[in-house]
Amino acid sequence: MITPFQIAYKNLLRKKVRTLLTLVGIMLSTWVLVSLFGFNRGYEKALNRDIDNMGYQLMVMAKGCPYEAATMMLQGGKGLRYMEQSMVNDISREPEVDKITPILMQAFFDPNKGESGGIAGYFGVDPASYPAMKPFFRFRSGGWFHDESAAEVVMGYEAAELEQRAVGDLTLVPEKNVRLKVVGILERTGTQDDGTIFVPLKTLQRIAGTSKITTIGISVKKDADMARLENKLYQLKDVQVVSFSQVKQTIMKLIATARVMVLSIALIAVLIAMVGVVNTVLMSVLERVQEIGILKTMGAMPGDIFRLVWTETLILCVGGGIAGIGFALLFARVTDILVRRILPYAPSGGLVAIDGRLALLTLATIVTVGLLSGLYPAWKAGRVRPLDSIRREG
Amino acid sequence: MRLIAVTTISLALLTCFVAASAALAAVACDLNDADRDVPRLFPNSTSFSSIYVSIEKRGGAPLLKRIENRLGTSYLPLYAPIDVPYTLYEIYRGKEKVGYIHGVNQKGQFGGIQLFMAQDLNGRIKTFYIQKITGASAGKFRDPKFTRKFVGLSLKDFDAYDPVTGRGTGKIAEITNPAPEMETDFYGVLRGLKKNLILMDEFIYSREHGKP
Repeated sequence: MITPFQIAYKNLLRKKVRTLLTLVGIMLSTWVLVSLFGFNRGYEKALNRDIDNMGYQLMVMAKGCPYEAATMMLQGGKGLRYMEQSMVNDISREPEVDKITPILMQAFFDPNKGESGGIAGYFGVDPASYPAMKPFFRFRSGGWFHDESAAEVVMGYEAAELEQRAVGDLTLVPEKNVRLKVVGILERTGTQDDGTIFVPLKTLQRIAGTSKITTIGISVKKDADMARLENKLYQLKDVQVVSFSQVKQTIMKLIATARVMVLSIALIAVLIAMVGVVNTVLMSVLERVQEIGILKTMGAMPGDIFRLVWTETLILCVGGGIAGIGFALLFARVTDILVRRILPYAPSGGLVAIDGRLALLTLATIVTVGLLSGLYPAWKAGRVRPLDSIRREG
Repeated sequence: MRLIAVTTISLALLTCFVAASAALAAVACDLNDADRDVPRLFPNSTSFSSIYVSIEKRGGAPLLKRIENRLGTSYLPLYAPIDVPYTLYEIYRGKEKVGYIHGVNQKGQFGGIQLFMAQDLNGRIKTFYIQKITGASAGKFRDPKFTRKFVGLSLKDFDAYDPVTGRGTGKIAEITNPAPEMETDFYGVLRGLKKNLILMDEFIYSREHGKP
């Protein structure tokens, strides 16, 4: 015996092009919707991962430092602001502090980089405290520095590749012409550490001719009151406190506008697709008025006709929805690349995270909205009067 | 006030991250600013297009083996894995293609050397440019007085000269080291140039002349 599902399926096959176009519409809107949902989750996850990979939740820096750090990297400007290293001891006494590490960021002008010279950046770290902040670092070869003032460097994966360095090779600090030996090359982390050249803090201080530092990284104890610690740090003279949770919130706010815009586009796409569904099913009903009338004369109740037409909507939505999710999964990497081009800042790692639960949620949304759109055509089909329909000229 | 500070710090950090990622993206040997560099390296050119070629796509393992044989595997390493995409700039004057620009990375004593050459359609060097080299006297290698000595040379000139041993005759043997204290880098430059010429021969010139 033929089931209502089979009848609905055959009805859709009668007008293949129309059905296909409707399916494509639903598929595209599902694709946009699931990718957007996936982006919402993926971006935050990737941002959290980037922030966790910093190794510390709070950063204390001399006032003005971030601006100048940005300038240093972009234009080769110098004149970083420094702070006394003794500040590390003062802060470490705070009960909320779990680990603390002093950092010196230093840039040197390399006249032989590019047409008009460029900047070589170095990250001076304390061999005693910094590695503990980055327990996830894995060495591709070699290891950390042999002592706290060794003339050595550890290179991130990309930095080593760019400089064609292997453990045992030499590097030269431009401007100062100081030779340093490569003792370790890190595995790829997918973060900005990949492009970093690490030098023992004391060595970099010696090269730069300073005893000061630019940054202090602070890891806060579990369950400690971070806000309280932040407030205490704000009392320190001439420093800025950067809380990565605040940075995260700010970045999320910055991209919120883009998210709202894309969400609006996705909603419009869903609406257009659903208008397409209404159009397709309604056309199909109007074309089959006589047929529906005959079905009714044979004993079909309005509810049966309603279910039959509604099943057509269901098939369209489920088919288009599954295809859209499939495409979203298949082209997640492409979406990722496009999103990265649009956003001012994209964290490392996958930005579009689509899993089974999200796929099901999107499918449920599309099917629900689709079924709601199919109510009117199904209701209209159910109300067809048999005699009127048979009298109509075909 | 605090909100403003956090926002500006976030923006500054974003800028740092973006700058860092831009720097990272340049691991392959690309011109730092192609729009500015191409007209400088290829005077009279009017436009260019970038194409990406890799040994994997152009011939796979057999091509890699052939390139390594031509380089002399144990002495002149390719460094780059088989799937690394090389950026090749096709240079046009009007609608007519007039040449190519291609760069390679070569290991130097203190860092990577990035060597670019502009070639005409016959494979002859029009301009030689060292985009990056590290060393106290590195500037001498970038000086036009040195780089101009390579103008007019082609792969054929390396037939009579071995950049690994430094022995041979001909035009290349006549080029003197501008910075004797950076001998490793001088030979690095010559080796990188030979590598660049061989890659271009395999990617472009052999194909255009019907060789396999």
